Amino acid sequence: MKISVNWLKDYIPVTHTVEEMANKISLTGIESSPVELGTELTGLVVGHVTSVKPHPDSDHLKVCMVDVGEDEDIQIVCGAPNVAVDQYVIVATHGAHLPDGIRIKRGKLRGQESNGMICGLDEVGVPAKYMPEEFENGIYVFDEPQKPGTAVYDLLGLKDQMVDIDITPNRADTLGMRGAAWEIGATYDEKPSFKKPELNADKIKDLNDVDVEVEEKSLVPDYLLRELKDVKVGKSPLWMQRRLWNQGIRPVNSVIDAANYVMIEYGQPIQVYDLDKLTEKKLVIKKAHDGDKLKLADEDKVLNHNDLIITAGEDILGVAGIVNGTVAQVDENSKNILLEAGVFDGASIRKTAQRHDLRDDASNRFEKGVDNGIVSEALVRATQLVDETSAAEEISKEIVGNYTEAKPTVIEGSVSHINHLMGLELSTDEMVGILNRLGFTVKVDGDKITVTIPTRRWDMAIEADLVEEVNRIYGYENLPNTLPAGMETRGGYSQKREFSNKLRDVLLGEGMDEVINFSLLSKKEVDDFNTANTEYTKLLHPMTEDHEYLRNSLIPGLVRNIAYNQARNNNDLSIFEQARIFARPKGQARPNEIEYLSGAISGNVINDSWNTKAQKVDFYYLKGIVDEVLSFTNADAKFEYEATADYSNMHPGQTAQILANGQVVGLIGKLHPKYQKDHNVDETFVFELNIDALFELNEKSIKSQSAPKYPSVSRDLAILVKSDVENAQIISDIYENGGKYLNDVTIFDVYEGKNIKTNYKSLAYHLEFLNPNGTLTDEEVEKAFSLVKDSLVEKFNVEIR
Amino acid sequence: MSLDDKLKSLRENGIDEAKRAQRLQELNDLRVNLLGKKGPITKALRGMKDVPAEQRPEIGTLANNVKNDIQQAIEEKMTELNEKLVAHQLEEEKIDVTLPAAKQVQGTKHILNQTIEDIEQFFIGLGYEVAPGYEVEEDHYNFERLNIPKDHPARDMQDTFYLSDELLMRTQTSAQEGRDMEAHDFTKGPLKMISPGVVYRRDDDDATHSHQFHQIEGLVVDKNISMADLKGTLEALCRHVFGAQREIRFRPSYFPFTEPSVEVDVSCFNCDGKGCRICKYTGWIEVLGAGLTHPNVLKMSGIDPNEYSGMAFGLGPERFAMLKYGINDIRDFYLNDVRFLEQFKGVN
Repeated sequence: MKISVNWLKDYIPVTHTVEEMANKISLTGIESSPVELGTELTGLVVGHVTSVKPHPDSDHLKVCMVDVGEDEDIQIVCGAPNVAVDQYVIVATHGAHLPDGIRIKRGKLRGQESNGMICGLDEVGVPAKYMPEEFENGIYVFDEPQKPGTAVYDLLGLKDQMVDIDITPNRADTLGMRGAAWEIGATYDEKPSFKKPELNADKIKDLNDVDVEVEEKSLVPDYLLRELKDVKVGKSPLWMQRRLWNQGIRPVNSVIDAANYVMIEYGQPIQVYDLDKLTEKKLVIKKAHDGDKLKLADEDKVLNHNDLIITAGEDILGVAGIVNGTVAQVDENSKNILLEAGVFDGASIRKTAQRHDLRDDASNRFEKGVDNGIVSEALVRATQLVDETSAAEEISKEIVGNYTEAKPTVIEGSVSHINHLMGLELSTDEMVGILNRLGFTVKVDGDKITVTIPTRRWDMAIEADLVEEVNRIYGYENLPNTLPAGMETRGGYSQKREFSNKLRDVLLGEGMDEVINFSLLSKKEVDDFNTANTEYTKLLHPMTEDHEYLRNSLIPGLVRNIAYNQARNNNDLSIFEQARIFARPKGQARPNEIEYLSGAISGNVINDSWNTKAQKVDFYYLKGIVDEVLSFTNADAKFEYEATADYSNMHPGQTAQILANGQVVGLIGKLHPKYQKDHNVDETFVFELNIDALFELNEKSIKSQSAPKYPSVSRDLAILVKSDVENAQIISDIYENGGKYLNDVTIFDVYEGKNIKTNYKSLAYHLEFLNPNGTLTDEEVEKAFSLVKDSLVEKFNVEIR
Repeated sequence: MSLDDKLKSLRENGIDEAKRAQRLQELNDLRVNLLGKKGPITKALRGMKDVPAEQRPEIGTLANNVKNDIQQAIEEKMTELNEKLVAHQLEEEKIDVTLPAAKQVQGTKHILNQTIEDIEQFFIGLGYEVAPGYEVEEDHYNFERLNIPKDHPARDMQDTFYLSDELLMRTQTSAQEGRDMEAHDFTKGPLKMISPGVVYRRDDDDATHSHQFHQIEGLVVDKNISMADLKGTLEALCRHVFGAQREIRFRPSYFPFTEPSVEVDVSCFNCDGKGCRICKYTGWIEVLGAGLTHPNVLKMSGIDPNEYSGMAFGLGPERFAMLKYGINDIRDFYLNDVRFLEQFKGVN
């Protein structure tokens, strides 16, 4: 809300610039920024149109003589349809500056001299949507005579200085000028003064023209009406109009404007009804029926049984606290009117306003709360203003639909406890002084204070609220900087986090860049890699189809990254992500959150260079990285790779499940060529590892051993074997038969093709024998080596080469 | 020729030959030939028996000197030749050091994780535990335990992805507060934790909004925690992240789960508070929200607000990183263009 300094001066003295005020208010209360209207405007004065003649060479232009307070009237050519003799208007004189850098200069329009411009409000900075409708397509005309030549800025509020406060939901008390005056007053230690509104006692009569019944008393703690008879609806005075348009409210007529003015002044929304338009003279406030309709100017709103409505007979006048329909609208012909001041349940208002997309100034205030201690006074004020501007003949007494006595809040606190929580040592007097500035009354009893809070500060409820008030007004800049002084604690990561950090470090060390992807995926993406074999978890109200399901694998995100990069010619990629997947067991609402580590590589490991040949990524390159990760798990487990063709988007001949002690803990392989093509990625290899599962494995217990001091003995073995026999089978058989001194087996050649019979391959292994406690003899080694060979021949029918 | 002269002439010839040698092999041969058991000196000394007894010691000394002198000449020449050889080898092996390296690559940690870990390390040093919490959270912990009942206007501040009436994608890492407070044994000392992680909001993705982003929540509950403790802690954090000269200021704000609540500004690290584009000419940059734990929040976790007090703060790693490195578009974090990612190699 924008707090106009001119308006604020009605209540407190203001001596600071709006910049200073905004800064100070931001630091002690509410985030604020300065607003200075019309700083660029110059040369705008009141003009009196003394003659209007048609332009000799134009149908729509007129040649006007205008008194601008100088010795002679000046001639201005004006195109506005509404210009007429004897109007008082805004004149931009020669050299005047208008908004958006427009400058007015003397000149000729179709041959006729023009010494300025007669302006519309929108041309001098009032937004078109906030200016009175009658001036929408023409110049602005003052209602009353003004002295020609006087500057128009103050008359029209064109150079208003304002502080725009951006309230937090708890400080809706400042959504009225009076509340804002209290807050700003406390900041500057100025007590605001307010005039109590009074009605003309002679006009007050016992009128019984209308009944009221509040059915939903719990949702409507206060509902008050006043009737005004025989009003003459006209235009509201200029001072009211300019305050309204600067608040972003379009002046309409003297009744509606008064209601809006009181809303800004008190923060209490006021509604108005044309009593004569009510088919039945009884207002009932109740819940709507499903399907009820509210007639608005441009549409009908279909209501439901949660909406609180105001009705008269069959007619629905409006949705309580939010919007009025057109049924009982006050217009220039209205004679007998009703003013309404109510308090409506914030939550109910909030839901209804949201449901119908009808949030506005009134509903915003009810949602956040209003001061139920001033409902009656605000209604008096609105009645007074309507009477002043629209001259009622008779005014009713307050008509009560429901009324709840407003009780001030009493908070007990302790000076020492409040000081403790702030980390300050204010004296009781200092503290009481601050609370008094806020308009709170304080009773002191030793360390105990009893603070009575006026109803306008309904956000105050507990001692902690006092801590905030005292601390902010005292000034947060005066707080010392300390650290919590309690018992020493040992900080750190959880063991699982340490574990996962360690594995991430391995991947970073292997040259993989870390990425972070979104957890919400499309239906297609969760279908593509349901490697966790889980039920899906879906958002109730997704925003887009791209982000509809919780991810069940990190692979789709990585593939997206590869595609994004390769589309930008970043072709050689090695990336990983450590994040959670969401796996939901059948029958369980909540998904389990499982930490995963997943990587993808594509393109070249090494590029062509002056001394190296390019090397493309392949399965074994990635497998090497995964092996290194697995060795860093320090798990006492047997890791194996088991070929699988079960994943539809993985290459059936280049994919393996990763097993730890026979349990699946991950996946590695090449993306299916079709999937690669569909996703615009080059040949790409991916892996994923379930960190939670790896973390659960038993740790190795390491007992240090000295490095062996005796030399090892090596034997090489080349075999010819059927193509479908896997390396892992051979290695495992070699170990089984190699005896206790067989220390290591590595494969150093795999060959298929020329010189090898079809469906066979040649494999070559290097066997290393080692006795840590002595030198091995040739005999010992030969014996073990023969056993190895014999077994391979027997089991796999290999041919030793 | 006398034995004496023989020896002297052997010496002359030997030294001369050594000096003339061009290859190491020649010198080796020379040594074997001249100084060996079958060499001329040994042979000459066989004539010793003809030398009068009183001259023998003199001749013996001379013979030794001759041997030593030749030996020395050979060694000197050997050293000279060896040095030449090494010099030649070095000349041969000279390379162009400006040719590019054989590439050795370490991966780059995502800048958000670098930022998060830097902040984690700061708090670990102050004795905070790191407790990440759940991304799918109950309405109960995400809202109600934070003093945000259903229909509370504060729920407007954060539009939520719900999975069911009771389950949602957490909108704030503050959701971890209730869980940590109820799990903590206060007889073992204060609760000091930070909770980093991913949060979700129903926001359209644009340059400044992302439906997924990160937060780090901090919470300390103990006897005698004060606003001054909060200010001191956050100033130390801001100095750690943004530089030793930084100051912070508190501005009143509102969060349902803290009272008092403050927004925290740090003095602009770009212009040192003088005013620039980054701080919008205010000298200050808003970096986080904080406050004293609301007594209701303590009570709901079974903690007596008359005995204990708490401080809490929440910060956004995206915002920290954007400020610190001048990143203008939050979407850059999630596009994962490796050229973007790799520019942050080793910054933290």
